[in-house]
Amino acid sequence: MSLIVAEGLSKTYGRVVAVDNLNLSLDEDSVTGLIGPNGAGKTTTIKMILGLLKPDKGMVKVFGQDPWDNPAIRSMIGVVYEKAFFPAHQKTLEYLQRVCRIFGVSESRAMEVLEMVNLQDASDREIRALSAGMLQKFAIAHALVHSPKLVVADEMTANLDPQARSELLDIVLQLHKEENVAFLLSSHILPELSRVCDSVAIINRGKVWAFGNLSELYEKYAIGIIRVTTDSASELESEIKKLKYVEDAESDIRGISVRVADGKEDKFYEDVPKLAKKIKAKILGIETGSASLEELYRLAVSAKERK
Amino acid sequence: MTDMGKGKPFLEVLASAIHEDYRFPFLELFAFLYAAGTFVFASFGVNIAAIGTAPQAMATANETIAYNAVNSILSMPLFIFIILIFKNIAYGLGSDLEKGIVQTYFSYPLKRYGILTAKLLSALGVALLLFLGIQISALYVLAPDIIVPQLSTVLLTYAANLSYPLLIAGIMLLITLQLRRGGISLVIGLVLYFAMSIVSAIATVFAIFSESPLSLQILSAISPSVVLQQYYGGSLGSFWAPAFSEVLLYTGVSYVIVALVFTLGYIYFSRRLNL
Repeated sequence: MSLIVAEGLSKTYGRVVAVDNLNLSLDEDSVTGLIGPNGAGKTTTIKMILGLLKPDKGMVKVFGQDPWDNPAIRSMIGVVYEKAFFPAHQKTLEYLQRVCRIFGVSESRAMEVLEMVNLQDASDREIRALSAGMLQKFAIAHALVHSPKLVVADEMTANLDPQARSELLDIVLQLHKEENVAFLLSSHILPELSRVCDSVAIINRGKVWAFGNLSELYEKYAIGIIRVTTDSASELESEIKKLKYVEDAESDIRGISVRVADGKEDKFYEDVPKLAKKIKAKILGIETGSASLEELYRLAVSAKERK
Repeated sequence: MTDMGKGKPFLEVLASAIHEDYRFPFLELFAFLYAAGTFVFASFGVNIAAIGTAPQAMATANETIAYNAVNSILSMPLFIFIILIFKNIAYGLGSDLEKGIVQTYFSYPLKRYGILTAKLLSALGVALLLFLGIQISALYVLAPDIIVPQLSTVLLTYAANLSYPLLIAGIMLLITLQLRRGGISLVIGLVLYFAMSIVSAIATVFAIFSESPLSLQILSAISPSVVLQQYYGGSLGSFWAPAFSEVLLYTGVSYVIVALVFTLGYIYFSRRLNL
């Protein structure tokens, strides 16, 4: 069963097209990443999924229903926003007990969810006294009070330090494994998503450019990719692109991901040191087929742009 | 899985809104000011009303005394009440929209109109109960002989005086929903409130010079305290001596306008508000 189905979803703000004819479906028991740069349309998509924004065109169904002003759906979804907002002057445990009463669950669940996110020691603190990391953990606890089947989280780790990010992702993994909760996680911090997601939707300029489980996407976009690690990535990229059998090359701060024509890998391994020598670049390593999620993202986007 | 029974989302959102709107020291401070203002002014006002009021053509002497008694204790506490409800709408609802707390409320199993009703009950309803409760109690304690037989006059006077502040509250609601922040709507609310006394004075001067009540009649449609004042002792008796039915009509019309403005707010919040 699809938890979320979006078809032809579009939203514009004035002249800016935020989401453009977007299609997406999310299966139960999955952890799906919605990845893309800032301004790609992730938050707008999520807001339409949550019924906070009305699409200009297209439709979105969550658990088979229109999410706009639909209380029934809210009993099945937990929501975590980039910045968590709660009534600031209420204490964490007291507020979660209120949320328990809202959803009609036992108030003992409030402490359970605080313990799940290791916030039991902050149960007597006012919400405004929580640090950014604690507040996001509290937001996750808040989203889990009613044991939702699906948690939708928009950039939930964006403002956190690496340790807090790692802790939150551990919580996501644990909840998925132990409580069978499906997640839709949007993020522009890709390495962290590769830890938890089994499928990703690559979103750019308001459209889904690639969607599928990670292994399928790696097979589709990253097989045959050669990774060149160098101290002069952009200069070497220009030289590599001049090679006739190179189909694509993308550089980043650490190196270059290169796709070459079938059967030309050996030739590439011979040519690259020569090119590096020519521009006085230092080659730190060359290896085949080890793309990160960031590289996968770039490869999928550049493959789409070439079409 | 957690067993899910029947929740009480409306009551809990209301309780949460009251917790935020009336947290210390607002409730205590405003309750004290209401009470102090009401009782201090009542002790003078009720006596003055009883002694100094001549019966008017359209109202009985007892009605006029009751009207004057209410009117004399109303102004200061009403101003405090208005500040409180404006603060609640601008900074309660406005900051909830601005900071995103409304988004959190939208994750609860409650229709949008339920969320707005809870917010408005907290911002307006609780303040109104507090205001009327203290005022009417004070009047009853200080002048039961005047107030008890004239309860309908007392209630009508409150209704006529409250409709314009409620209209401003409705306009502030629309502005707050549109702008998603409370600061500007608070300023506009206060300007509209103070503008009424200027507009009222201009309308009265215009009515006197033109010897036509038209300007005051128009004003009465949004602020029926104007027609009520004429009914119970206005100085324009030569060309405008409204009947009681007219007072009821203007008061009714003003509340229809208030209801329309709030209905617009509800429609916008339920159907149009994108977050």
